Amino acid sequence: MILALETSCDETAAAVLDGDDLRASVVASQAELHARYGGVVPEVASRRHLELVVPVAREALTRAGARLQDVERVAVTQGPGLIGALLVGLSAAKALAWARRRPLVPVDHLRGHVASLHLPPDPVWPPFLCLLATGGHTLLLEVREPASFSVLGTTLDDAAGEAFDKGARLLGLGYPGGAAIDGLAREGDAEAFAFPVARVGGLDFSFSGLKTALLYTVRDLGAEEAEARKADLAASYQRAIVRALVERARAAAERTGLERLAVVGGVAANSELRASLPDAAFAPLALCTDNAAMIASAARFTDPVPYPDYLSLDAYA
Amino acid sequence: MLILAFDTATDVATSALVWDGEVLGERSSRAATGIVDVDALLRRGGFREGQLEGLVVGTGPGRFTGLRMGLVTARALAFALDVPVAGVSTLAALAAGAPGAVPVVDARRREVFTLVDGQPRCLAPDELRPAPGTTVVGDGAVRYRALLEAHGALVPPDEDERNVPRARFHAQLAAEFGCAELVRPIYLRVPDAERALA
Ligand SMILES: [Zn+2]
Repeated sequence: MILALETSCDETAAAVLDGDDLRASVVASQAELHARYGGVVPEVASRRHLELVVPVAREALTRAGARLQDVERVAVTQGPGLIGALLVGLSAAKALAWARRRPLVPVDHLRGHVASLHLPPDPVWPPFLCLLATGGHTLLLEVREPASFSVLGTTLDDAAGEAFDKGARLLGLGYPGGAAIDGLAREGDAEAFAFPVARVGGLDFSFSGLKTALLYTVRDLGAEEAEARKADLAASYQRAIVRALVERARAAAERTGLERLAVVGGVAANSELRASLPDAAFAPLALCTDNAAMIASAARFTDPVPYPDYLSLDAYA
Repeated sequence: MLILAFDTATDVATSALVWDGEVLGERSSRAATGIVDVDALLRRGGFREGQLEGLVVGTGPGRFTGLRMGLVTARALAFALDVPVAGVSTLAALAAGAPGAVPVVDARRREVFTLVDGQPRCLAPDELRPAPGTTVVGDGAVRYRALLEAHGALVPPDEDERNVPRARFHAQLAAEFGCAELVRPIYLRVPDAERALA
């Protein structure tokens, strides 16, 4: 049985995984807390993680019907992420593991996202091609072993989720921007504006030109007109992001010969992306945004660090 | 009562194992390795973590990241070992280690944390006005030595142990042991983003 903690950004999460039985996954989202700042504030996030991480771990154990004594390994996100936030989770995990003399499994957050696919009800196992799109990362990955990967392409500037957030801010929508744009786009015409899909080399992505195109379009329309056509702008902007993701994923499939495509990360919740890739496997919605179930899942395929070696582990940004 | 005390709120992490007022061991290092010290203290003393009866943690003020690492360690240990926790301010522990002295912790950004009428405060260094002849201790005192000495204050040599918090004093000052979640960090400063909104 694995108890996993995840505090790399703005979700405080804990999960209990027994074999492939996800006994509990608790996520205390800070999204509302950060909405007033229009984005994640590291110091605010770290303060919140301190308040929440032990109660969330306790809640996960309670929901799993387990006690800390039953836990065989403690897993935790070691990075990448906000360093101050990561150190809260890592310190808590070290203390829990140390108090019970259990090994600690330090997990890479991105491997965690990939490992969200290895969980029921429809686990996806390698080999497959993986599109990982979050607020911090946009990656095309070749997955040959569980919870591990090689990188085929990455974003040269903004991440896809970041592009959604920045677009939402330009359109005066709330944070987080992905859900706001997705919702509004349903009422708009995706062909109303022709936003550019960046052509960069290889299998890499670029979203900064798109963001600038939206800025100029909003400026040229004027405040009143932009407000009136907000749904069209959202729909067209979303279409451009989705198109970029889909085109690259198809190109990667061709290049690697991998037939199966899986999509993970917060952007995997986007309805247009889901509709555009009918044959792809998507992580369960609850496991798209940051959670600890995926960290526990990856921990199954990661070497544990024995006592006392893990006491000196550090987080990485 | 076997007590483990630690404080990782400043650049020097300190930890002590204390049994009924008797200091069995004390260590210091960097905040990142605070738990390494804790582990070494117990093993050197021949104790098991399950024998601990109480925890004392430094509540700052100090470096935010180190402060949180200490507090979350205390809260997680309290949960795992089912023991109560007491909080002691880093400034109070410094003061206890140098009777009669004014404790000053470097808060970075040209600010210091100190006690004013027994209350923790965040001040600019030149707002410190120790009476001539007063001893001032802590990494903030060392950093602003020239300024303080110009006021006639006495600052112990840089390496003097009175300038760093020592967990034996946290253990000594700990009064009420209770629920770990009720032991709160003393931040004194709001996050920058909060200031920007205000
Ligand atoms: Zn993530």
